[in-house]
Amino acid sequence: MHTDIYVADSLRSMISSSKSATYIEGRYQSRVTSEVNFINGELERIRVVETSGCGIRVLVDGCWGFSSTSNVSDAALKESLHEATSAAHVLSQSKKTKVKGLAQSKMVTGSFKTAQNSYNNLLDIEIDQKVQVAREGEKAARSNREVKTASCVYRDMVDHKVIVNSDGANVEIYDSKPEFNITAIAKKGGQSATAHEGVCVTGGWDDLFKKRSHLECAIAASERVAKLLDARHVSGKKATVILDPAMVGLLSHEAIGHTVEADFVLSGSVVKDKIGSKVASDLVTLVDSGRSEIASNAGGTIIVDDEGVVAGRTAIIEKGILKSFLHNRESAMIFGTASTGSARAFQYSDEPLIRMRNTYIEPGPDKLTDMIKETKYGYIIKGARNGQADANGEFMFGAEEVFLIEKGEVTELLRGASISGNAFEVLQSIDMVGNEFQYDMGTGYCGKYQPAKVDGGGPYIRCTAVIGGLQQ
Amino acid sequence: VILELLHYAVKQAESLGASDVEAYAATSSESEAFMENNDLKQAKSQRVGAIGIRVLLGGSLGFYSINDLTKSRIREATAMAIKIARASPRDRHNALPGKSKGKALRGIYDKNAELFQTSDAAKMAAEMLEAAKSYDNRISVDSGNFNAEIATHALANSNGMELKERASVFSWSIMGMAVENGDISSFDYQLGGSHFVKDIDVFSTATEFAETVVNSLGTRKIEQSFKGEMLLTPMAANEMIVEVIAHAINSDAVQKKSSHFAGKIGKQVASELLTVEDDATNVQGLSASSFDREGVPHRRNIVIEKGMLKKFLYNTYTARKDGVMSTGNASGSTSSPPLVSTTNFLIKPGRSNVDKLVSEIRQGIIISRFSGNVDPVNGDFSGVVKGGRFVRNGTIQYAVKEVMVAGNIFKALSRLNGISKERKVIYDSMLPYMRFDGMSFTAG
Repeated sequence: MHTDIYVADSLRSMISSSKSATYIEGRYQSRVTSEVNFINGELERIRVVETSGCGIRVLVDGCWGFSSTSNVSDAALKESLHEATSAAHVLSQSKKTKVKGLAQSKMVTGSFKTAQNSYNNLLDIEIDQKVQVAREGEKAARSNREVKTASCVYRDMVDHKVIVNSDGANVEIYDSKPEFNITAIAKKGGQSATAHEGVCVTGGWDDLFKKRSHLECAIAASERVAKLLDARHVSGKKATVILDPAMVGLLSHEAIGHTVEADFVLSGSVVKDKIGSKVASDLVTLVDSGRSEIASNAGGTIIVDDEGVVAGRTAIIEKGILKSFLHNRESAMIFGTASTGSARAFQYSDEPLIRMRNTYIEPGPDKLTDMIKETKYGYIIKGARNGQADANGEFMFGAEEVFLIEKGEVTELLRGASISGNAFEVLQSIDMVGNEFQYDMGTGYCGKYQPAKVDGGGPYIRCTAVIGGLQQ
Repeated sequence: VILELLHYAVKQAESLGASDVEAYAATSSESEAFMENNDLKQAKSQRVGAIGIRVLLGGSLGFYSINDLTKSRIREATAMAIKIARASPRDRHNALPGKSKGKALRGIYDKNAELFQTSDAAKMAAEMLEAAKSYDNRISVDSGNFNAEIATHALANSNGMELKERASVFSWSIMGMAVENGDISSFDYQLGGSHFVKDIDVFSTATEFAETVVNSLGTRKIEQSFKGEMLLTPMAANEMIVEVIAHAINSDAVQKKSSHFAGKIGKQVASELLTVEDDATNVQGLSASSFDREGVPHRRNIVIEKGMLKKFLYNTYTARKDGVMSTGNASGSTSSPPLVSTTNFLIKPGRSNVDKLVSEIRQGIIISRFSGNVDPVNGDFSGVVKGGRFVRNGTIQYAVKEVMVAGNIFKALSRLNGISKERKVIYDSMLPYMRFDGMSFTAG
């Protein structure tokens, strides 16, 4: 973090010295990652990793060239620019369809923090404290005697970025994303069950444990997994289900969000010709935003994207109507629209791609208690686990716990199960939308050639989906 | 220069009170070209250099990594590693290996790689695309890449170890399908790789990809579910078999009680046809190198011989836990303390050629790719057959669709009844065709 101060100047002078490119972008990023992992009372892993460097991307003759270097001296940057430019030149000899240009966007200038007072805070937390929460968390996760295996991971990423491009962007961003994860596995007889608890925020140390302490988090996992061990399995059927905020986030991200990423749309996604069409119930407004809307500290907050465009609120679906895809400047040009500020790169050595940020369904009028009361027979689905979604919106997600609702009352805890269906049909079936909003998907990474930290959430919603199948 | 920096890191940490120190560095320069949607997409080059410093303070571990190879930053990183060690609990199994005699491996570095540029990578990607498209006009290439890399890794530790080695690696991939009047074949992808410029062969990879997807056009559902033989191509074996065996033979998994092979050394765990080796000294595999992540010389480890489990794979830490010697399987990059993993994973070829293996099938399916889940802990798998072809009485009948296959890999290994003499290098695996009987196929 020593070269930070000069690198913006170096990038600016590098860009102004070059005449041959349609567009030049220089991104400096320095990242410090800390990780502490305990398994069954033993330290499994401890490490701190610093990476920093510049990624230079150019558009020359309608072709992209990219080069990155960990050496950020003026000479190395110049060399890197030269390599990116010659890479683009080489490509232009064989590439058939050239990039037509980039959509006009207002270029951001200035310095930003993704969350208040958080950047320095996390770097100031001593490694001892990180070891302590991971060690105590893991131990607390074994507090119930049915728990045979437990693990706890503390991890954080602290970034400093500088984004400069030939269209006038000149941005500095300070970002900090800590996370805390517990896994507890209980075994009795031939039965086993697994519970996860976790939280990831954009913010500082205090923000991470604002809702609950590390011990509360661990004990919740420990107690739940013991209960799940004795729970019955659910039998498979199409049913009325109430999805929790984590499941709403997963559905919004995996089954809807990916289908509206403009690069997927261009290769023939299911929503290709659906802008302006009704794709969901009137109660549904589904948003992807680079800010932390509605609630604070969402894990996918970026403020400004890696092309220097404001990463604001994009309503993908508004009151049931499909309104927008997610764009970078290149795809926005093709579609004749504006960039949604969705270009993101994970590291300095990655090129920006169209990615989601915080994806959620907006809250509605209903209280959860009323949603349960008005359900004759159905299920509450909680604790989103990983799942799969196809380009056509077909999905299957695992859930960690299921509650049976009979005659308007929660009567029994059941074991985890999977839910499946077509995401757009599920959105059509939504008939109640809760009034309490929560982000609850921050501990995952979204993978698309490179990782990205994303979040998702919403209120509880009531809809129809297929529940069934066994889930560990 | 790099060894001098590593030596400096070791001395620094020792002067700050570390009982043991290891400094591991890796540098590389890389050129890559990407394809997307039947066209070239982007070309890219990068240069990286990073160092990972591991210190032990009376059994407590500290680790710090930076991608900056200047003395001042290395000095700071070393001090940070010590600080982390002071916060870590003690673990008496933490130790570094001693100096040992290893031989430098020949055949992993090609001087000509130094002349290979981004433009050459783009040219290779364009050739691969052209080869696939010209094989058949129904081919659609979804994505792919060509990568050229020169990588150096070096290590010094407080037991006097000083090692350095350079390798060149070329690797490429192609993925896509065949399309004909609304009929879309299964996706297929193929990989290729070499250490030498003269061994780059994008044409074969593109052709195999093209052949596979064209062969999986005009698919039919199988008439009914059946129990029969399964013939895996090397690619399908890579997807279904390798991860499961690699997990089961990993000493870390054994010690964490998640290996199916725990307690089975000396026992028959597979058909007598199966011999598995882990061998980083085999230069055909792209993971070939002469020493591992903590400097222990690589060697050929016979893990399963004629179906009998012979040994697990260890790094120094897991070896000390079991009171044995490291097998040279410390793995990982500069950004993490050593883990345990396989290097080049080899399954010994058999005597029959592929055609003979097919001709002996009474009823079964050839699987080119598998899309589904494999649980490395218990070996259960279930998923959809991709690029599958139905075989009856020794003859390929037709390409299949919507066939599910499910079972258990460990049980299947004892029903292995044929291995081809042809073997394919898939990055760091060398795999033959493998035939199993008694597999359940379910019609969709």
